[in-house]
Parts: sequence; C-alpha cells; structure tokens
Amino acid sequence: MPDQSKELTQDTSIATKPSLGKRLRRLPITLYLGGALVTTFVAVAMISFVWTPYPPNKLNLTNRLASPGTAGFFLGTDRAGRDVVTELMLGARNSLYVSVVSTVVAMFLGSIIGLSIAGSRRVLQGPFTRLVDAGLALPGILTALVLAAKLGPGNTTATLAIITWQVPVAARVTIGPARQILALDYVEAAYGYGRTKAYVLRRHVLPNISPLLIVLGSVMFAAAILIEAALAFLSVGVQPPTSSWGRFLNETQSLLEAAPYLMFFPGVAIVLTALGFNLLGDGLRTVLDPQQARTGVA
Amino acid sequence: MLKHTLRSLFTLIFTALVGSIAVFVLLRQLGGDIVTVFLGRDAAPIDVSYMREKLGLNEPLVMQYLNWLGGIVTGDLGESYGMGYDIFDELVRRLGPTLMLTIGGLIVSIPLALVLGTYSAINAKKVRGSIVDIITQVGIAVPAFWAGLLFVLFFAVRLGWLPTGGYIPFREDPVKSIRLMILPVCALSLGVTSVFTRYVRTAMIDVMNEDFMRSAMARGRSRRGAALLHGVRNASIPLVTVAALQFGQLIAGAVVVENVFVLPGIGRLIVTATLGREVVVVQSLAFVIMLIILILNFLVDIAYGFLDPRIRDKEAANA
Repeated sequence: MPDQSKELTQDTSIATKPSLGKRLRRLPITLYLGGALVTTFVAVAMISFVWTPYPPNKLNLTNRLASPGTAGFFLGTDRAGRDVVTELMLGARNSLYVSVVSTVVAMFLGSIIGLSIAGSRRVLQGPFTRLVDAGLALPGILTALVLAAKLGPGNTTATLAIITWQVPVAARVTIGPARQILALDYVEAAYGYGRTKAYVLRRHVLPNISPLLIVLGSVMFAAAILIEAALAFLSVGVQPPTSSWGRFLNETQSLLEAAPYLMFFPGVAIVLTALGFNLLGDGLRTVLDPQQARTGVA
Repeated sequence: MLKHTLRSLFTLIFTALVGSIAVFVLLRQLGGDIVTVFLGRDAAPIDVSYMREKLGLNEPLVMQYLNWLGGIVTGDLGESYGMGYDIFDELVRRLGPTLMLTIGGLIVSIPLALVLGTYSAINAKKVRGSIVDIITQVGIAVPAFWAGLLFVLFFAVRLGWLPTGGYIPFREDPVKSIRLMILPVCALSLGVTSVFTRYVRTAMIDVMNEDFMRSAMARGRSRRGAALLHGVRNASIPLVTVAALQFGQLIAGAVVVENVFVLPGIGRLIVTATLGREVVVVQSLAFVIMLIILILNFLVDIAYGFLDPRIRDKEAANA
C-alpha cells in the first residue's frame, strides 16, 4: 500500500513541532514569574554560603538600628547592629534547608504510602484512606508544638513537624490518580504478563503520576516555608544564633515604634518566596497536567 | 442516610482512637524520658521517683494510655506541673478569645470568598477576574503573623484607630471587645479567605459548564443571572467541606495570631506550655483540638449528605 505510507509521511511533516522560541512563548506567565522568584531565592541562599556583606552574626555595636541606606548597610541594621541584608541572606539559607529536607522526605514517604494504599486490597483501602484524611485535617503547627514540647525547639523539630504534616498531603494526592491508573488496561496486561504489583506500581503508576507529584512538591515547598517562618516566629523553630526570617520578624515585634521599617524586609522575603513556589506550581500544572489545571484547585 | 451517618461515626471513632494512640506514643516514647525532660538531667533520684509515681509512669504503658483516655472522656485532663492549673479548667477559661477569633474568621471569610470567587469565575477570562486571582495568590503567601504586625503598625500605631492588642470578654464590654478583635480577625481571615476564594472560583467555573446552567441561559437568563441564581448554590456545597478542612488551618492561624495580639486564648496556652516543656499539657490540648477538628469534620460529613443527595446516592451505589 504505497499510498498510505505517502499519506503518513505527509501527516508527520504537517505536524512538525513548533520552534523552540514559539513553544517557550506559549508557556504560562506564572511559570516564568514563579521560576524567577524561586531561582532568586535559591541563588541568594547559595551565595550566602560563600559571601555575605558581613560575617554571620557580626555585631556593629556603633551602628545599631541604622536606617536603610546608611553607608555600608544597604537595608540598615537590627537592634543588635547586625546587617539586615546579611540576616536576610542567612534566613533564606535556613528556609531553603528546612523546606528542601522536609519536602523531599515527605514526598518520598507520602507517595510510597499513597501508592501502597492504592495498591492494597479494597477492604483496607477505605479505613486507610480515611486515616490519611484525618491526618490531613490536622494543622501542621499543632504537630510542631507537640514535637517541640518533647524534643525541644529547633530546626530538627520544625523539619520533623513539617514532614509529619505533609506526608498525609502527599499520600492523599497520590491515592486517587494511582487508583485510576491501576484500573487501566495496560496495567491489566502487565499483570497478565506476570508482573508483580510492586513492579506495576513502580514502573507504570509512578511515572504516570510523577507530573502531579512535581506540582505538589512545588506547592508543598511554599507551605513548608510558611510553617518554618511561623514556628521560628513563635520561638518554637530555629534557635539563636541561626538566622531565620520568622525569628527576625519576632524580634521586630518589639520595635514597632522605634524601627517599623525593619518588619517589612523579612515579611516581603517570606511572601515573595512562598508566592514564587505557588506560582511555579501553578505554571507547572498548566504545562504538565493540562486536564488538572482546568479543574484542579491550588 | 442512616448508613452514611453510621459510616461517618465509625470513621470518627476509628481516627480519634488512632490519633490518641499516636499522640500518646509520640509524647511518651519519643526523645527520652518525660521526667528527665521535666526535672532535668541532674534531678535528685527521690524527686524523679516521686514524679514517676505521681504521673503514673510506673504502671504498664497500656494502663497509662487507658488512664489518660479515661481522663479525657470524663473531662479530667490532669494538671500543669509548672504552673499548677487544672488543664480542663484552663481550657474552658481560654476558650473565649479563640472562639471569637475563629468564628469571626469564618464570618468574615466565607461570605467574602463567595463574592470574590463568584466574581472572578464570572470574569475568568477578563483582566478583572485575573486581578482577584493574583490577589488571592499573594494572600495565601502572606503569613498571618506578618499581616497582624502590619495591621498593628498601620491601624494601631500609626493611625491609632484600633488598639494594638489585648482581650476583653464580650459580656463585659461588647463594643471594646469587638474593637479589640477587628485586627486579629482580619489578620487571620486574609489567608483563609484567599484559599476559600480559589475553591469557590474553581467550583463556580465547573458549575458554569454544567448542563443546567446552559438550560438556564437558554431560557433567557443572563450569564451572571444564571451564575448567581444556580451557580452559587451548587458551588457552595464543596465550600462546606473545604471550610471544615480549613478549620484546622484556622486554628493554626489562631495560634499564631493570638501570639501577635496577646490574646489569652488556647493558642497562647499551648505555645506557653510548649516553651515550658509541659508535655502533659501539650499532649492533652493537642488531642482535644484534634478531637474538635475530627468532630467538626464528622458533622460536615453528615451535613454534606443532607445538602447534596447525590453524595448519598453515590455511596449507596458503591456499597
């Protein structure tokens, strides 16, 4: 059948991919905006390892509460005379550290639990799913306070708390789509081929839900940053002398009259970073999972 | 309906039991001995043994758990060792500010979210709709405590319109009490409203594509008219669930906001107890809060079945 093959070649020539520039322009603006904010955040945190305007915790006692723009202190200094820019850079580092560790661990554990529940027997699925739902209803700060009461405040406590809170989230998001994929014909075919359930979950289900997990990871990052800040603000998270945006804000609380501008900087840093990860998640969803993007909820 | 209720009730009891075991094990087993946490490493042995006896730590673990659970059922949560108050009494005493804050948050955020979400859904393809969308994105990213600090700075310190913080019971002086609550409620509502608005928007966009909306428009209703008449009612059903799920977030927000505005509520109590390493207080409070959240979810689950017959039918079909 020579005609048909000719048709086929014609078809493919029509359906050539648009140029790279065109495809890049077609990506959602949220992706670029979020990507830019996230890149800045990560870059600042990374740079803080090799360079900060002043050494960490350097006290400039003659220059306490210098206002922004004072020579040598772009954003001024805090009550103890620490350079605000340095503090913010170190705060970014702490935020990044806590959110990377907690998000990666929570995604890993959560998706394993979610996949196991989706792949388990029908009788067990109901109760386990409901248990995950219950875990979902619990606020992360509560878990953190419980842990801090026993373990003492600190970065480890904050990280553990965020993990405990996010594992159910990751599990819950995994269960539904994983079950949908498990019901598809090619999964049936894989079973018929003699594959085990673990193999099917790993080789067929996981790759298919990975776009979803990537989007989720971005949103969970934003949440982790907000919780880390809240815990540090409540003095339950990271302890001095480690810098953190939340703790910085806590310290400015008593300076509302003397140096009100100080509270803007860490607050703006938190908002921009959390916003960046949320926007990035939104943009990624549009690209990776168009169906979900139309109906899904952030 | 009965089956639906029983199933929800079973879920409630099941999750509450698992949760209680989790909280208990977490606090008793994790990170060393509870008495060491409390008295320090260099405590005299006689103090340690007295404390162990008093806390009932010499009994088998199962008995300890059952005693604690029994106490919760009968309203005996034990007492604080650092401060000496009875935990249950203190909880009741501090319920006022927290309730005012959280209920105030719901009263502000739900109607506001319905309006904003509907508006942005109707105008989804226009700039107006996108602006609402952007505002909610930012609203989600603003931590409640920072919003609180900003409000204090502008409305209390700079403009002097409202007090910076504190609490007066509603019964003593309703006007002052509400004036004190305005800023905390606003700070708390910002994030919650943003989340609700996004849910309403998505639900509304979904509803707008339903057949009955097309029929309504075919019968001569305008797009906006159909949205307001049929859309909002249908879109508010998922909002009920979201509101219940968000109640946990609301309490989390309350914990933070109470600390900004110095409100003597449950949130402040639990933070103070945490910083004082009062394991027993935190354990009991955390479980009670968890129980409240689970009970609310249970109530919503039932209400959901009443509100939307489709849910019941679906469950009946599945069973």
